[in-house]
Amino acid sequence: MATPGALLDESFLRKLEVLSLVTRRPVHGQLKGVHRSRRVGAGMVFSDFRPYAAGDDIRNIDWGIYLRMDRLMLKLFEEEADLPVYVFVDASRSMDFGAPTKLDYARRIAAGLAYVALLNHDRVNLIAFADGVVQTLPTRRGKNQAPQAFRFLESIRASGQTSLQATLRRFFGAPRTRGLAVVISDFLDPDGIEPAFAVLRRFRHEVVAIHTLSPEERDPQLPEEVVLVDAEDGSASELEITPSLLEAYRARFQQHIREIEAYCRKYGWAYLQASTAVPFEDLMLKMLRAEGWLR
Amino acid sequence: MSLQGLPALTAAAVLLAVAVMVLLLYLLKPAARRMAVPSMVIWRLVLRTRKSTPDRLRWWLSLLLALCIALSLTLALVRPQISAFVGGANKSVIVIDDSTTMAAIASDGKTRFQHALVSARDLVQAGAADARFMIADTRRLVGSPRLESREAALSTLAQLHVVPGGRPQFPNILRSDERDVRAVLITDGVAALATPPNVQTLSVYQIADNVGITAFEVRPLPRDVHRFQAYVQVFNASPGNKQVQLQVAGAGAAPIRRVLQLAGGATASEVLDVSAYATGPIRASVDSTYDALPLDDVAFSYRPPSKSIRVVMVSAGNVALERSLKVLPRVQLSVVPPGQYASRSGVDVWVFDRFAPRAPPSSAALLFRPAPVDWLPHASGELRDTSVGAWSNAHPVTDSLSLRDVLAERALHIRDVARAQVLASDPGRRPLILASASGSKWVEVAFALEDSNLSLQAGFPAFLSNALNWMTGEPLALQAGLGVIELPVTRAKVLDLDGRPTAARELSETTLVEAFQPTFYTAIAPDRRVRVAANVLDPALSAINATTLTGMAAAKPVAHTAAALLPAAWLALLALATVLLALEWWTYNRRYTI
Repeated sequence: MATPGALLDESFLRKLEVLSLVTRRPVHGQLKGVHRSRRVGAGMVFSDFRPYAAGDDIRNIDWGIYLRMDRLMLKLFEEEADLPVYVFVDASRSMDFGAPTKLDYARRIAAGLAYVALLNHDRVNLIAFADGVVQTLPTRRGKNQAPQAFRFLESIRASGQTSLQATLRRFFGAPRTRGLAVVISDFLDPDGIEPAFAVLRRFRHEVVAIHTLSPEERDPQLPEEVVLVDAEDGSASELEITPSLLEAYRARFQQHIREIEAYCRKYGWAYLQASTAVPFEDLMLKMLRAEGWLR
Repeated sequence: MSLQGLPALTAAAVLLAVAVMVLLLYLLKPAARRMAVPSMVIWRLVLRTRKSTPDRLRWWLSLLLALCIALSLTLALVRPQISAFVGGANKSVIVIDDSTTMAAIASDGKTRFQHALVSARDLVQAGAADARFMIADTRRLVGSPRLESREAALSTLAQLHVVPGGRPQFPNILRSDERDVRAVLITDGVAALATPPNVQTLSVYQIADNVGITAFEVRPLPRDVHRFQAYVQVFNASPGNKQVQLQVAGAGAAPIRRVLQLAGGATASEVLDVSAYATGPIRASVDSTYDALPLDDVAFSYRPPSKSIRVVMVSAGNVALERSLKVLPRVQLSVVPPGQYASRSGVDVWVFDRFAPRAPPSSAALLFRPAPVDWLPHASGELRDTSVGAWSNAHPVTDSLSLRDVLAERALHIRDVARAQVLASDPGRRPLILASASGSKWVEVAFALEDSNLSLQAGFPAFLSNALNWMTGEPLALQAGLGVIELPVTRAKVLDLDGRPTAARELSETTLVEAFQPTFYTAIAPDRRVRVAANVLDPALSAINATTLTGMAAAKPVAHTAAALLPAAWLALLALATVLLALEWWTYNRRYTI
């Protein structure tokens, strides 16, 4: 049994134990797992027939067909494989905002998903990124690796600016098995998110985009005269805050959210808004299940 | 404290201080609060699409507006007087007409005099800061006008008021050699003022209705001294017809009322029987609509006692004296020769002509060159070809008389005046007329009427009347105009119509009281009483529309006269400040300014 960390308590972990990640396409796992694979072989789910050839396992010959048709046909089964899961956690300074901070919220989401994946013998990679890969937890498999995953996530500290594109380029620059990429970020990337998502599309990963938001950035409360300081690069701008300006900001923020969601929906990816105002358990047990990515 | 009209240098210093203060406030403005946001990505996208004015330009624009507002308000407040802008002379003489007609009420409820004061204040306040003002008036309330500062001039103006009655005159205060003096007369143009040619006249005239009493006298009937008539003359000085209610009232009987219809400019006279009233003041009043001058609506007179004075003239024959006594009202005269003289009761006054009884008579006596007796001052010898050199105006007998031309060929040389009072004396200060109030009153004239021209003097009947009245204790009743009234008494207590003491000022031989409205005074001196009725009773004063400034008044209404002369720039500055404030509000709400 996994040792519960500070991120998730034991009762919540028990609730997660009945869940598993869902993929919409056959996986390319190399080891035995619970996900439908493209490979045909030893498995429980019937896939097809083919004529018997010398050397085939005679245990898979369909003797009923032989009796009816006098032909030796071999039953084929889908092989079940494990799922490579890449969990990207945004650790830029912009995530250190709100109460609770978006980074804390992202950490807990990542911990929950990693725990579910490890329980189901999926291969889990945890990547903390900012303007590049900050730190990674190499592939872990099995429930007993959960404490390491939790410790890794707890060790993440906010620093640097956001560059999702650079992160994905670097990470997927090395040979990686195609799998499920979970990106937990506020997507406040000065370069935009499209170049970064293009990398994911190129490598044909399934993507779950979890957009962490805080109520304060969605509806900021600012004095009339204020100097806004960018938490990431430290740049400052003096502004006269007027109702019309605030309204324009809110509208633009909503547009930003809609653009990301529209991009994800366009390519069949999952998109989920994770507001820090929403209780974490509701997000994991209701919203992700409702989206069909946990069952 | 007043900030108005600061000199240019001081005003410039004040403006500079205000500007520095505004600038400091802008520099000391607290910096905007710094707040961290996760990222400026969204904000930059928003700001990219919004037009924005550069911050530095906004700061300067905001400062410029604030400076303009502050300086406009300061200028409006301090009203600096710059001679180049104010123009005109550095010295101003302002003469205010404070004669009776200036008390006429204009259509706005204020008197002409109040309008004159407003105009005068406007003139003073609009003058340059270092200008000097001389305030004077046509009734000499300002005893010695002099050039003074703005504040002192305003203070002098505050002390002025209408002085009814009297004869207004333009004060002789302008020197012909002074070039930079601007002289202004503020008047309604009714009073005849000899205004110098270089004097600018401001009119406060407005046409108005007025009905006034121009004559009021109570006198006994010639045929019956116990009956009295009141003669009342009412003048309608209004331009149109008027219905006037006339009322005459006195003590002891109901008021007499008459309704008069008077055309514009017409005069009506009424003779009313006032015998029913008791001895004392009689009040006449008129009432009409829209009457602008209340001063002439009331007048007082005095109904004298109807008692006869029994006079016995002891003379060997003096036709002039006998005739003069006979024509005096209420005098019942009987003549006896000196040989038949016998002191008796039933006589109010004895008149001894060149005769004197050895013993004092039982009642008062008037003696002309009496024979030497013990009870009269001792006389020895004669004065030849003498004349009256001095006489007393304070004594009731010689009050209001002129004895300047009285000559006497022969007169007693009275050497011992004793307890008597000298009423008249010759140029050598030797007594010619004496009076005594100790015991029975007597008046002694040192010369006989045949030896002098006294009986030919116009004042001789008045002398006789005064002497009889004084000796019989009859109080004197005088008629006076409004203003300062000189009463021929000393050490007197002056009471008004209601019996309340009135402020009076005592001089050496007279007592002065002031009457600002028609009234009736009684002065009680130790030796006698004097009654005086103070009235307007002057058609010239009631004619409040008899102005010489009709054309000017029609062209320049009162309210605009001062404004036209002295435009109030501070109002424009206030308006400018208001507009700038609105502009600042507008630009701030649109973030053109900070």
